[in-house]
Amino acid sequence: MSFEMWAEKYRPKTLSDIVDQKDIVERLKSFTKSRNVPHCIFAGPPGTGKTTAALCLAKDLYGGAYKEHMLELNASDERGIDVVREKVKTFARVRSIGEIPFKIMILDEADNMTSDAQQALRRTMERYTETCRFIMCANYSGRIIEPIQSRCAPFRFAYLPREAHDSYLKEIGEKEKVKLSSEGLDAVFEICGGDLRKAINTLQSAASLGKPVDAKVIYSITGKASPADVQKMIKVAMDGDFLEARRQLRDMIQKYGVAGSDVIRQIHTEIFKAELPEQWKIKLADIVGEADFRLVEGADEEIQLSALLARLVEVGCDFRKGR
Amino acid sequence: MHFWTVKYKPKSLKEIIGNVEAIEGLVEWAKSWGKGIPKKRAVFVYGPPGVGKTVAVEALAHDYGMEFVEKNASDYRTEEAVNRFAGLASQYGSLYGGKRIILLDELDGLTGSSDRGGVKAITDVVKGAQCPVVLIANSAYDPRFSSLRSYCLLIEFKKPTAGEVAKRLKVISEDEGIHADEAALKFIAQRSGGDVRSAVNDLQALGQGKAKLTYEDVSWLGYRDRQDSIFNVLRMILYGKTCASAKQATNMADVDTDMLFEWIYENVPAHFSDPHDLAEAMDALSIADVYRGRIRATQDWGFMRYVVDYMTAGVALARKNTKTSGWIPFKFPERIQMLSRSRAERAMRSSIGAKIKKKNHISAKRASKEIIPYLKIIFRNNAEMAAGLAKWLDLDREMVEHLVGSEEKAGTIIELMV
Repeated sequence: MSFEMWAEKYRPKTLSDIVDQKDIVERLKSFTKSRNVPHCIFAGPPGTGKTTAALCLAKDLYGGAYKEHMLELNASDERGIDVVREKVKTFARVRSIGEIPFKIMILDEADNMTSDAQQALRRTMERYTETCRFIMCANYSGRIIEPIQSRCAPFRFAYLPREAHDSYLKEIGEKEKVKLSSEGLDAVFEICGGDLRKAINTLQSAASLGKPVDAKVIYSITGKASPADVQKMIKVAMDGDFLEARRQLRDMIQKYGVAGSDVIRQIHTEIFKAELPEQWKIKLADIVGEADFRLVEGADEEIQLSALLARLVEVGCDFRKGR
Repeated sequence: MHFWTVKYKPKSLKEIIGNVEAIEGLVEWAKSWGKGIPKKRAVFVYGPPGVGKTVAVEALAHDYGMEFVEKNASDYRTEEAVNRFAGLASQYGSLYGGKRIILLDELDGLTGSSDRGGVKAITDVVKGAQCPVVLIANSAYDPRFSSLRSYCLLIEFKKPTAGEVAKRLKVISEDEGIHADEAALKFIAQRSGGDVRSAVNDLQALGQGKAKLTYEDVSWLGYRDRQDSIFNVLRMILYGKTCASAKQATNMADVDTDMLFEWIYENVPAHFSDPHDLAEAMDALSIADVYRGRIRATQDWGFMRYVVDYMTAGVALARKNTKTSGWIPFKFPERIQMLSRSRAERAMRSSIGAKIKKKNHISAKRASKEIIPYLKIIFRNNAEMAAGLAKWLDLDREMVEHLVGSEEKAGTIIELMV
């Protein structure tokens, strides 16, 4: 076993190492061949290879010294307008020396930039197009302002399909000498749903227990947010005890740091497994979907999820009355 | 549910906190009626609110078996109204001396020109009283009372000390089965500024139904300092009938919008017992929160008005089926307590997040949320892997301790790192 984060150690190094997202990889390879790259938006859920694709593109384009021609900024940490003014401008305006006349600026989590900062960025992009190309990575391209979107080539990343997910994990398992059962793989996929970074982190922490990795181990380490807990919380809510359900939710989020989007995904899964009349399930799916949508726009995960719990209390009450 | 201020109102003079001299003076004067009509036929009891003036007179009547007649502000609006009870004071006195005591409470409530007649009428009653008369006001030195004052024995009630108030709170909490920290009671007592009534109200709001009351539970009382207490604001919002009244409450709140949001969020469930109303009220809070998200995304604070609309009017108008039943105490937002407790923890998490960011292409923020939970598992289960990762990430001892959760285990990992 080695001592890095495996998600980093096994990050693909070149575009050819990326086994999935075929269409995207093909288009990116054509950029490296023509030695020209437009401004791009890489949009898609976490752990689907946006940053990796951007880094690989830069490496394939510039070769060994790629770090001199590339700057990676994370908008979540530096989202203000000043950062765009200073760091981005300083980097963008200086012409690159070498065969390729432009540099690449990777803006990670760009959808977290304020719209003022995005406006400033738009002007910078226009002004320094000759010397710098931007790759904006975002979970939601809708949060990128229209003028930037229209200047960028869009790339849509999707969750990894099951086969690609399995092949990555199996390969890591072999190299790190971890025994990974097929039920273990099922469990990882159920919990991580095609988010590869999460899947690899899950695998590494499961492996740290020094036992063969099976479904039980996976559920035990993902601990407080295992399906059983979410199931329990849903039941408590449907039985009418809102305060207790909210307390359990608060524990998940605050004490165990479970992401709200994960809780909602599990609620969605559980609803279709629950013993409820079929029509109720689809009604509940709408309620969950609305909450999921608001979670994206909202400021506070607990508020959004507890509003969902209150809806479940309501539905449970109607259900008992046979409405 | 009963108000504890009523339930625990002292019945006998012995139970009253502090003001020993004042009470002695009161008793002495009352006893003097046994030897005929004294020089001063009335006492004028004055002092700040909530220190036990009225209660003391009631207890006096109780202890000495006197018939107790109480009048307050509304009874002395005019001279005519005063004359209606003046008869009471002028009769029976010689026959059953000292068997009746008349209390004229809330003299401060006399206002306006017609009341001036009222003060004069009261003065006449005092002059001819055939039984003990007690007057109560916050201040005896109001110019309106200057003539009245000269016919009265002045007795001042002072604020009891915090220690005295705390003692009383201890008796009440023991009776209610609450195990309360001394520091917690002392804090409530100090905050009340000698107003026993408000101290008892606070104790009820904070302690009712609890087995334990700690200093942490009460320390937030400091929040409700200046303007209207947050409880009134919450009442206006949670029980508002119109958009306007619910929205108006925010102007009275002494806390910022985010804090008020937390108060509402904490207290909605207990005050909206009907599941449909609860779902609607929570939905309103959810929409308010969506607008907060929009503020954050756009930095346009103009959206704040919609946040306020939904968290106040939206919540108030969700009430359709819930019946208002009894007294439900308001609770301090638990999330705020959790947050303040975990502040140090969050600082640590973000510095570990910054270290992770350096080696992994991920923001420090997301790292602290998404990577640290996995690191914790690894650090707790595999010292060797932990040591390797700690080295790779360049973590210091404190960070390792945080991840592994024990000093001893951290020591093992640090040794392996060398």
